[in-house]
Amino acid sequence: MSASVQSFRERYKRAVRDPDLKPRLLAFQRSWRHSRDAQIQRLEQRTERPFEDLRQEFAATKDRVRASWDDYISEFRSNAEAAGATVVELDSAAEAVEYITSICQSRGIDLVVKSKSMVSEEIDLNDALERRGITAVETDLGEWLLQLAEERPSHLVMPAIHQKRQYVAQILGGELGTHFDPDDIPAMVASARDGLRKHYLQSGAGLTGANALVAETGSIMVVTNEGNMRLATSLPDVHFVTAGIEKIVPTWSDAHDQLQLLPRSATAQQISTYTTCMTGPQPGKEMHIILLDNGRRDMHADDGIADALRCIRCGACANVCPPYQVVGGHAFGHIYTGAIGLVNTTFHHSIEDAAGPQGLCVSCGACETVCPVAIPLQQQILHVRRRAFDAGHSPRWERLALNIWSKPTVMRTAMGIAALLSSAARGLGLVQRAHVRLPLPSRLRWRSIPVIPLRSGQTLIASRQPQTPIASSPAAGLTVDLFVQCLADRLMPQAVDATARLVEAGGATVQVPGGQHCCGLPAFDAGDWDTSRIMARQTIESMEQHTHPIVTPAASCVIAMQDHWPQLFADDPDWLRRAQSVSDRIYDLAAWLDGPGRLPNNSLQPTSQLWAAHRFCQTANRGAPEARIDQLVARLTDSEPAELAEADVCCGFGGLTSLAAPEVGAGILQRKLDCVNATECDILLTNNPGCAIHLNAGAHAWGDAHETMHYAEFLANLLPNDGA
Amino acid sequence: MTASADLASRFATALSDAQGEITDASSWPEVWELATSLSSATPVVSPDAFEQLRRGDRPDPADPLRSIADRAVGITQARLAIAETGSVLLIEPSDVDRAVSLLTRHLIVAVDRSNLVADLAEGFSWLAAQPQAAAYATFVTGPSRTADIERSLTIGVQGPSRLSVAIIQDSSS
Ligand code: SF4
Repeated sequence: MSASVQSFRERYKRAVRDPDLKPRLLAFQRSWRHSRDAQIQRLEQRTERPFEDLRQEFAATKDRVRASWDDYISEFRSNAEAAGATVVELDSAAEAVEYITSICQSRGIDLVVKSKSMVSEEIDLNDALERRGITAVETDLGEWLLQLAEERPSHLVMPAIHQKRQYVAQILGGELGTHFDPDDIPAMVASARDGLRKHYLQSGAGLTGANALVAETGSIMVVTNEGNMRLATSLPDVHFVTAGIEKIVPTWSDAHDQLQLLPRSATAQQISTYTTCMTGPQPGKEMHIILLDNGRRDMHADDGIADALRCIRCGACANVCPPYQVVGGHAFGHIYTGAIGLVNTTFHHSIEDAAGPQGLCVSCGACETVCPVAIPLQQQILHVRRRAFDAGHSPRWERLALNIWSKPTVMRTAMGIAALLSSAARGLGLVQRAHVRLPLPSRLRWRSIPVIPLRSGQTLIASRQPQTPIASSPAAGLTVDLFVQCLADRLMPQAVDATARLVEAGGATVQVPGGQHCCGLPAFDAGDWDTSRIMARQTIESMEQHTHPIVTPAASCVIAMQDHWPQLFADDPDWLRRAQSVSDRIYDLAAWLDGPGRLPNNSLQPTSQLWAAHRFCQTANRGAPEARIDQLVARLTDSEPAELAEADVCCGFGGLTSLAAPEVGAGILQRKLDCVNATECDILLTNNPGCAIHLNAGAHAWGDAHETMHYAEFLANLLPNDGA
Repeated sequence: MTASADLASRFATALSDAQGEITDASSWPEVWELATSLSSATPVVSPDAFEQLRRGDRPDPADPLRSIADRAVGITQARLAIAETGSVLLIEPSDVDRAVSLLTRHLIVAVDRSNLVADLAEGFSWLAAQPQAAAYATFVTGPSRTADIERSLTIGVQGPSRLSVAIIQDSSS
């Protein structure tokens, strides 16, 4: 029974063709989120400490172990050996497989019962044993179902979550020679119990993973719900433990800390049914603990990646991941799935294996907010993407598009032509509600094409009367530089104009420094750091012409300047300093309107329209206060927003993702628009131009009634002397 | 409510949250009475609990698992009970000890009142101080379960499908 991994493209196509996957994973993500949040809240109440403290504390423990890794490994080893276990440290998958096979062969073992172990998946143990005439039987129900179906886990904790019950009834019925009613899950589970039981009694060896290796006593801790692990470690004469060397914790107290975080994050349980601690073999039996490196020391040596070794394999990063919800773990990952799979595959398998799914990640950062060991996953994925790009694993169209995007003059010409085509389309009656209807292939028809206005944001600003101040903000009398953002400039000129007017409403004067184009974000996201640096330098040169505060309507560019620029120029002190002197001055418009350019409460006209606010995911997930545009708009207009579910969840734009993987962009957008439509709002507001364009184009394609706009435009329309 | 009554009630709540059951049995004879009322088959008793009960079937040391597999009722003894989580801590160094808690359909776990502790942290510090116990120690919280088929929670997949806990009020041991 071999379950080889198909190519990424095949896995992706299979996933998007499965009509049941999306709704099932959506229901899963929503119910997990609900129960997990309740569990974490209870934990915070009981410990009287915030989740943030608890996770940082355990993360620090894991980091401390790695700082003296060899010492802890040898402490673990000598204690485990004193308890009668055999401990081997092995470098590669091949060595681990070889070790297990040779022990089996020398003991005459031809049947191994396995409890869940991701490391055994990592090293592809089942196939290797089979080639040597040794049968491995998975005894975790989910893993067994996968084995019968010749599939791989699609989730770290719920390995068979992609299988629907009709399919389970079919494969189980085939194996056990009976017919199952797909709706009678208890009957299937009961038969599986009997089907698996015989293997325990016949097997010569049991194999388990380990959730933690406790150095102070040489013990292993394993957490399960079914009880199969206890059977696999009790009946056979030989017990193999396969564990990555990152699983070491110093003490039982640290194991306890891990246990506070693990089941709550994994299955949203306070504790799993069985938490078993084992030290050495039973008298007269054998225990072999295989401590596997397989790329882990290389991860440790890589500053940008090392923190990923904190991972406790809880799967939470997949449970909040919008693209995972659309395509599942077979496409979103390799052997390891979810956000962590996008990172560690590079080291446990290869950059080729890691490259495929990179384009599915929308960089929303939701994974980081729930990771119980605070791994900076979003940043790490961007690092892997850079490697993949440098190794030539990115689509040619993407390279070409970024190359064009990086050239302001070429872009200006291209946009000018697009604007002319747009007005021609208008003449031909192809334009409705500012979008063009074109005969596109169905996989691209989910999003209409926005028309390009003839006048850009910068032109609009240059040719208008400034807004009269409505209040004397702390910034009254100051000059403010506007960073208009490339997308907003060409596609949402009114949002640019509105931004200027809102700044002016607080008494400041607005100017637009010349030569500005793009902050470099699209190229950075695509892993193309060289192109990103070119764009960043253009922006820096433009913005360092003055020293005023800088305001932008684009929440994404603020993140690019504050988070990406220091990485881009880490090895270039001169540019790093220049970048910093610009990013120190940047304000997201919402932060400005609540900060130096603060407009008083209720200073705008009231509105009778019902509005809802989608909060740009990246800003919201990093916990930035300016993400709360709902509070800002409510405060300025004396109105209440319609309650939008999942307001912080990505809309599916994700920079190039919606172009590279249209099904993912469409799937996430659908989730978002379903939430928006449930509010019955008149207007959907958002704080990032890319999201506004994407949400608008999607709502247009699906004929949704609400209007979408950047909140600046909404607010500027409510300025007291609007139209003056 | 006394501190100890409070612990007991927190334990009962947490246990029932985990689909386990707290029983009224508060002495070893009552545990036996309960076990025999559940099924006409003789309960199987772990070596530890047999010391207290002196009746019932014990696992056959030569083939503990086969002799116990799928028997209706089993009785075992826990070293600690954790109020916070509703868990009981079983110390089972050999497969003879484990047979009862692994393979019977309805498991009754008896634990001394004096061994009821507040939280898992206490459980782990107890374990850290008892290197012998950590040979094979399991925090068991409710009956065996799976959600592997369409996330539908199903009880009793590989281990017991019912788990009852009896708190022994004044153990002679
Ligand atoms: S990266 Fe974090 S969230 Fe993801 S599996 Fe590992 S510990 Fe869990």
